[in-house]
Amino acid sequence: MILIRLAMAAALAVTGISHAYLYVHGYQHIPTIGTAFVVQASVSFALAVLILIGGPAWLSWAAAALAGGALGAFVLSRTVGLFGFSEQGWQPSPHAAISVFAELVAVGLWAIYVIGLRRTGAPQT
Amino acid sequence: MTDAPHTMNRRQLIRHSAWFGAAIGLAVAGGEVISHVAGTADAARIQGRPTLRFAQVSDSHIGFLGKANPNVANSFNHAIDRINNLGYTPDFVIHTGDLTHLATPGQFDQVKQMMTGLRTPHVFTVPGEHDSIDDGGQKYRSAFGAGTRGDGWYSFDIAGVHVIALVNTLNLKKLGHLGVDQLEFVAKDVAALPSDTPIIVFSHIPLFAMYPDWGWGTDDAAQALSYLRRFSSVTCLNGHVHQLFSKTEGNVTFHSGTTTAYPLPAPGDGPAPKPVTLPAGKLHDALGIREVSYTRGQSTLALKEKVLQ
Repeated sequence: MILIRLAMAAALAVTGISHAYLYVHGYQHIPTIGTAFVVQASVSFALAVLILIGGPAWLSWAAAALAGGALGAFVLSRTVGLFGFSEQGWQPSPHAAISVFAELVAVGLWAIYVIGLRRTGAPQT
Repeated sequence: MTDAPHTMNRRQLIRHSAWFGAAIGLAVAGGEVISHVAGTADAARIQGRPTLRFAQVSDSHIGFLGKANPNVANSFNHAIDRINNLGYTPDFVIHTGDLTHLATPGQFDQVKQMMTGLRTPHVFTVPGEHDSIDDGGQKYRSAFGAGTRGDGWYSFDIAGVHVIALVNTLNLKKLGHLGVDQLEFVAKDVAALPSDTPIIVFSHIPLFAMYPDWGWGTDDAAQALSYLRRFSSVTCLNGHVHQLFSKTEGNVTFHSGTTTAYPLPAPGDGPAPKPVTLPAGKLHDALGIREVSYTRGQSTLALKEKVLQ
């Protein structure tokens, strides 16, 4: 379980860094999307730190929700658009691919974490 | 998770509250740090003033009569005031088309008179389809075509940036259209430019497929953009759709601008892009202008949207 927490914290840090980098390098000027990027990055960093130091299980749920939301936003921005913003494929490269990978890892680790807790019967708080 | 009802004692509640508080506190602190870094990066980038600063205004539709905006002239004057009160003199102002609603000589005269109130060294325009309703853009070119080529297209260099103004509202069936002559002009125009020259392209109809079912795209834009792919920074600014919309394709970024006249529905929201009548007092929130700045060495332009409130 400790390894899963470490890996989840690392995945959150990676997606947070990626969003923060894009925010600093231009995305801050895109209406609504800029704000969403800074919120995603700052909440990712906060959850990464708290999960790393042994916070309660609901932090993992919050992390999965955040990562899942970011993945959903990625899909919308490549299809119907999100708040009037759309991009193509894996642009901006390599940040889009790195973020998606990290977010998939975070969601996957959360699933493993929850299944593990259920098997051991440990409380999820 | 257990089948028994889960209860929490006071100590657990306090502990969880503390974790929640820590999460909020860390997130806020992180957000502050990132914003500060972004602000510092911007300040370092700006170092006094950007290399180029200009304003975009679009779709004034002078002459429009309708419930969606009973006084478009007043709104356009408001937009001119906003530009004149930016706190600096923009290097130029670009109007990205649909200056008039019905392309009458009176409407061209009125909008031209109004734009003389802009405090800027240069005013540039591109025609919208409303500016060339019945004459292939003749009246538009009489009023605004001085110094242009072909059917009104042109380019110029300013502060190390190469600007191309395109006309994609003539010979259109459903989508915007550039045509062979204009594509040839673009190819020749950029042929000798080094690839690190920042490029800005103005057009009325989007050069990307924003919503082709409503004609919000240009059928031969891909050919024009193929000449621009080698440049490290290409920014395309358009009007026509009366709303903000951004799209990135590799090194090319597209930004649709809003209007000073009346809003249109979001893409696909309804059968056709008809003027939207907003509740009283809400119209000026939907109208606006755009500030654009470029600083040498940066790959992207900074855009700031301002409503007419």
